[in-house]
Amino acid sequence: MTTPSSAMPSDFNAYWQQTLQELARLPAAPEVAELPLRSTDFATAYGVRLTSIGPYRIFGYLSIPKDADADADTDAAGAGPFPARYYLPRYGSVADLVPQGQANGQRRQHVTFAVCVRGQRLADQPYAAAFPGLLTDGIDDPQSYIYRGILADCRRGLEYLLTRPEVDPTRIAAIGPDLALATAALSPEITHAVCTPAIFCNTPELAARTTAYPLEEINDYLRQHPERQDAAHRTLSYFDLRWFAPQVAASTLLIAGADGAPLDAAALEPLAQSIPGGCELHKSEHSGFKDGVHSEQWLTRQFGLPEPSLPPHWQQ
Amino acid sequence: MPRIPADQYVSQVRKPDDIDQFWEDVLAATARIPLAPESRYDPLRSSADVEVHEIFFTSLDDVRIAGWYALPRERSGPLPGLLQVPGYNMEPPVPKPWARKGYAALSVAPRGKLRSNRQFNPGYPGLLTYGIVDRNTYSYRGFYMDACRGVDFLIGRDEVDAHRIGVTGHSQGGGLTVSTAALRPEIKAAAAGAPYLCGYIDAIELTDAYPYQEINDYLRQNPHRRQQVTDTLAYFDGINLAHRINCPIIVSVGLQDSTCPPETGYAMFNAIATPHKQIYGYDGHGHDANNHHHAAIIDQFMAQHLQP
Repeated sequence: MTTPSSAMPSDFNAYWQQTLQELARLPAAPEVAELPLRSTDFATAYGVRLTSIGPYRIFGYLSIPKDADADADTDAAGAGPFPARYYLPRYGSVADLVPQGQANGQRRQHVTFAVCVRGQRLADQPYAAAFPGLLTDGIDDPQSYIYRGILADCRRGLEYLLTRPEVDPTRIAAIGPDLALATAALSPEITHAVCTPAIFCNTPELAARTTAYPLEEINDYLRQHPERQDAAHRTLSYFDLRWFAPQVAASTLLIAGADGAPLDAAALEPLAQSIPGGCELHKSEHSGFKDGVHSEQWLTRQFGLPEPSLPPHWQQ
Repeated sequence: MPRIPADQYVSQVRKPDDIDQFWEDVLAATARIPLAPESRYDPLRSSADVEVHEIFFTSLDDVRIAGWYALPRERSGPLPGLLQVPGYNMEPPVPKPWARKGYAALSVAPRGKLRSNRQFNPGYPGLLTYGIVDRNTYSYRGFYMDACRGVDFLIGRDEVDAHRIGVTGHSQGGGLTVSTAALRPEIKAAAAGAPYLCGYIDAIELTDAYPYQEINDYLRQNPHRRQQVTDTLAYFDGINLAHRINCPIIVSVGLQDSTCPPETGYAMFNAIATPHKQIYGYDGHGHDANNHHHAAIIDQFMAQHLQP
């Protein structure tokens, strides 16, 4: 049964259209600086600063493969075009250049861009998010909820990635938790998505079924402010992946929890079915190795690459 | 070429002759600093069954350290204390699950973590190589002490039985579990998952993944400092601290762990002094080290030794 608090808001599309229009009115004003410490003989790393709504200055780690045919003594980035991996952040203060545990060697054949959204390290001035705390910041009103700005940040990062001539526009993957699918919905330029939903899928019901953070933040908040429940639930409905999914044109890999988990394959099946770009629903095997290899192999096939980028311990 | 089985790997790590003296000096310097504990009840994070406090104490270099301290509301006598130590790029969790199991649980935020980063904030990436050319300035000198000071905080609490204190964590938390159990004899039980900070110089050859990749980044820029880096890291390596562990300890590793290579976990485990040790090597698992299954083993182990 769909309760009023979990229903799709009638102005869902208008809300996001207004947010994107607000973003479009602000120039990104990119500043790009090479990061020699994180550059290798096969890829050049950059720090990128951009303006998002607020206005607010955000950060991203960019990595560009060095052209295999280029003079090895130069630091010039390769001409490309290369497939791109756009990494959306997990819940926490740190965004990594390449997600922890994944092969750094993926930077040989991909442009990678990892955005640090408002509140995260490197994008924490003047707003330094608290963990726990971020998930309920401004939750009483869709206009003030912190995730409105965060999703605008994610969209802005994608817009910057699209300006890079080294990126192959036919192969751009958004990779990450809930933010990956939501960003794909707001960005038709994203061709592929690898998403592990954890928070924004009928969030009120999810939170009620757990005492684990970060969802416990919502329980904490409503325990202190029970009179604000309807307002908080209404706000969360603007961020629900179920309402974003019908707008996702990207070919999508959805990683579901194992059987019995709050977001297991059965729970995510309707979401997967509603993605018009096509969706493979993969049931987690409770193994970062197995799930990681599956994701890499899926993306390799989708991008038409000969070999997946696997760290040594993932290679059989 | 096929990889050598993780349990047969021979580490390159060499133990400095003066490692014990080095740490005795650091522990003594830390002990001279007043703990100055502070505890503030946090009604937002507390619930019907658990009370949560935001706590602070002072550690080495006079750095103020934060933490979350959770207690079961219903308690009749002294509680066992449990120190929970965090992963590298995660936020220290509010340890309510441990409080619900009957422990006085402290989740410490060592220097550089949010809420403990006003005086020291090398960032992520960054922490792993900060001050790495000198064992007296290396980031983990203070970081290890911050975890150790968590033991002092627990000992100082009226509701905690100082003879029943354990430590647990995963990844960097696994490494800190090893270092804390090695440096603080008050620890009576330790459970380390996928331990980081063990076999640093092995790991930078075994994996190309971050966070260990930070060391390769540093050495690419500073190749002339390789020996200094190797010398510094030897003092902080869990393999070289393991001989000091005398409490019961369990270790879990994923045999396909690309973040903390299993070879390094085994090398550390083999160096542990106490016979009361057990390692769980999980084939088919990466950095999760089969935590979904192993969590119950940790619960049982802690309950056996700390009796909540």
